[in-house]
Amino acid sequence: MFKKLKHHQYGYLFITPFIIAFLIFSFYPILNTLLLSFTDRTLMSRTFNITWFRNFQLLFADKTFITAVTNTWELWLMNFIPQMAIAFLLAVWFTDTRLKIKGVGVWRMIFYMPNLMMASAVAALFFSLFSFYGPVNQFLVRSGFIPEAIDFIRRPAVMRGLVVFIQWWMWFGQTTILLMAAMTAISVSLYEAALVDGASTMQMFWHITLPLIKPVLIYVLVTSLVGGMQMFDIPYLLTDGRGSPNNSILTNTINMYMKFHSSKGHIGAASAVGIVVFLMTSVVALLIFFLLREKHDHPEKNKARSS
Amino acid sequence: MKRLSVLLSIIVVMSMLLAACGTPAAPATEPPAGEEEPVVDQPTGEKTVLNVWSFTNEILTMAVAFEKTHPDVDVVYTMIPMTNGEYQTKLMATLGTDQVPDVVALEAAFVKSYVESDFLADIGDLQQYADELEMYPFVYEVGMADGVHKAYAYQATPGALFYRRSLAKEYFGTDDPVEIQALLGDFDKYIAAAEVIKEKSDGNTYMVASNGDFQNLFFANREQPWVVDGKLTVDPMVDKMVETVKIFRDNGYEARATQWQEGWFAGMNDTLQDAEGNPKKVFSYFLPTWGLPYVLYPNSTSSDGGSTTKGDWAVIEGPLPYQWGGTWLGVMEDSAKQDLAKEFVRFCTLDEENLTNWATGVYTNEYLKAVDPTVPDDQYQAAGDFVGSQVVVEKITASFDDSEMSNFLGGQNSYGGFAAAAPSVNARLMQGSDDAIQRALNDPLNSYLEGTITLEEMWATWKDAVRNEFPDLIIE
Repeated sequence: MFKKLKHHQYGYLFITPFIIAFLIFSFYPILNTLLLSFTDRTLMSRTFNITWFRNFQLLFADKTFITAVTNTWELWLMNFIPQMAIAFLLAVWFTDTRLKIKGVGVWRMIFYMPNLMMASAVAALFFSLFSFYGPVNQFLVRSGFIPEAIDFIRRPAVMRGLVVFIQWWMWFGQTTILLMAAMTAISVSLYEAALVDGASTMQMFWHITLPLIKPVLIYVLVTSLVGGMQMFDIPYLLTDGRGSPNNSILTNTINMYMKFHSSKGHIGAASAVGIVVFLMTSVVALLIFFLLREKHDHPEKNKARSS
Repeated sequence: MKRLSVLLSIIVVMSMLLAACGTPAAPATEPPAGEEEPVVDQPTGEKTVLNVWSFTNEILTMAVAFEKTHPDVDVVYTMIPMTNGEYQTKLMATLGTDQVPDVVALEAAFVKSYVESDFLADIGDLQQYADELEMYPFVYEVGMADGVHKAYAYQATPGALFYRRSLAKEYFGTDDPVEIQALLGDFDKYIAAAEVIKEKSDGNTYMVASNGDFQNLFFANREQPWVVDGKLTVDPMVDKMVETVKIFRDNGYEARATQWQEGWFAGMNDTLQDAEGNPKKVFSYFLPTWGLPYVLYPNSTSSDGGSTTKGDWAVIEGPLPYQWGGTWLGVMEDSAKQDLAKEFVRFCTLDEENLTNWATGVYTNEYLKAVDPTVPDDQYQAAGDFVGSQVVVEKITASFDDSEMSNFLGGQNSYGGFAAAAPSVNARLMQGSDDAIQRALNDPLNSYLEGTITLEEMWATWKDAVRNEFPDLIIE
């Protein structure tokens, strides 16, 4: 009995660093943000009032906030769907035992490269490329594709496209690697058995690969969702840091930063944005877990054990 | 072996993470976002340490000069660039903590919000020196809130209009500043002149590089501030600005460059090309005092040295008086060294000898190195910065008759030009929220110019954006 208890204590000992770090660096900030969101606190004054839900009321009456929320969802979905599609395709090709693609490691490294670059460098690069006097305009005009230079930076569709493209380009390598890791972990014998039974590549994908990589899939989905809801650096740095042109790339976090950064530093109002984004992300993440849960988990496991 | 290398790489990553969050007590510097490198001057010896934060390297020169006259003081100078607002973020985040510096430099865009805040100390006893030196009123009025003096500036930054002499001769038959001022004396004349230039040059010369250049002028000449009794107010001058900007865009009077971007600078040294490679010229730039030595002069020669416009410029007051930028110094209320900090502000902004040295190029690199050998090689103050004291300005104007800047302006005394413009500048309408409110107009205005939204939609979008940043403002 005593021995058993001691083993338990070892477990607690091992997770203590995480618990401590979590309490200090995650739980406390969240709690503090929540408390701040009930106040009209600014950085420029020493006093503040408790205003309860006024910040949230103002937020939902504010068109800019609604635009930011819609934008964030649209920008995330537009980059996440193609990102998953390409990552799946590449992962299936690279792990396919029949294709035997050479230099998988090199390809993987090349695809991962964009992720290593600083967001600020990438944003500055694309800004210069597409500016009114930039090389893209020079190329298009001189080779006769367009009659005169276009102010791409002022075109909402172009800028949104760029944000989506950059996010996709920076992250598809990462997703590919995760999916490949999940796929290579699947026992080859399953595929061999399927081959013997005459299964097609598509059938193997749907009935073997997909179910077995589901845990990784959920992980990718949730982390990408969290990252997407907090999308900041690229859209912030690409134009004027205010979601220009015409608020087309204004995201939640830019909106929050703008409130924090306005001349008075409205951290109360900024915290309210943070809380809404937090709740939104949490609800959707839980929904993903719920929808993709193992539906017949226990009976099957028991069966497998008894057999 | 493989496991070992994995372990090693984990250790490397961990150590980098730890290094990144180490030494939080030291004066932290933000990573450089532009070309500017953060400079931290390390404290030495047993001297009293004075922490000064700024967003350029300029005040480091004064700090070194201060150390010369105050040998018992060590000024620890921290430079944080404000290219993307890093400085403001850092400063805002330290307010009310024990990490606040003693003296802060405040730029025109945000000086007023600090002056209106609870965090700057009352330094009104310095006003006697300001009166003695006959500081231009707008210089100290900016540093005032509710009658309390909280910040002073060493510069006065009246704006002016710089134009190309050769182009003026070509299109108006004269390059004489007096005659050109008569031709461009108000905005109707300025627009008419833009049409003349467009016609005579077949659209190859633009009146101005970007419409952002002259928006300031309209804002500076409003009769009401943006916020009246907590309510957002639009002065008729703002409508006039929108009208004028639209005329410039629709008629092709502006080169459609963006301020502080490549095309804008290219116009200064005559290397502007449209997308097809046709050369384009820019007739005039609206720049303040500091724009001459820091912006126009350094960019007047192309990077390959092939094209230069040196000597081809002239300066006039332009269509409307205005001021742009400027650096104010304030003392943090939470600083434990109030008297020393105040003395530093007095020395930098209200000391006749220092201001004279500053403006006449006494602070050379050798001068600074003699005080502090660790000063970087490119640290010095060239002659020509326009100071805020009328007493000093009157004494030194004549010394610029044959300066580098005056030669750059085809022999025109630049200092004299600014001295003529300075007294008509008024900054009484300036409020802490100005910068954010005006910035919020930028994007809707450009969408309106593009024709993607209507004028009503532009105002509506702008009001939404302002509401978003100022939850307490009444907006109708």
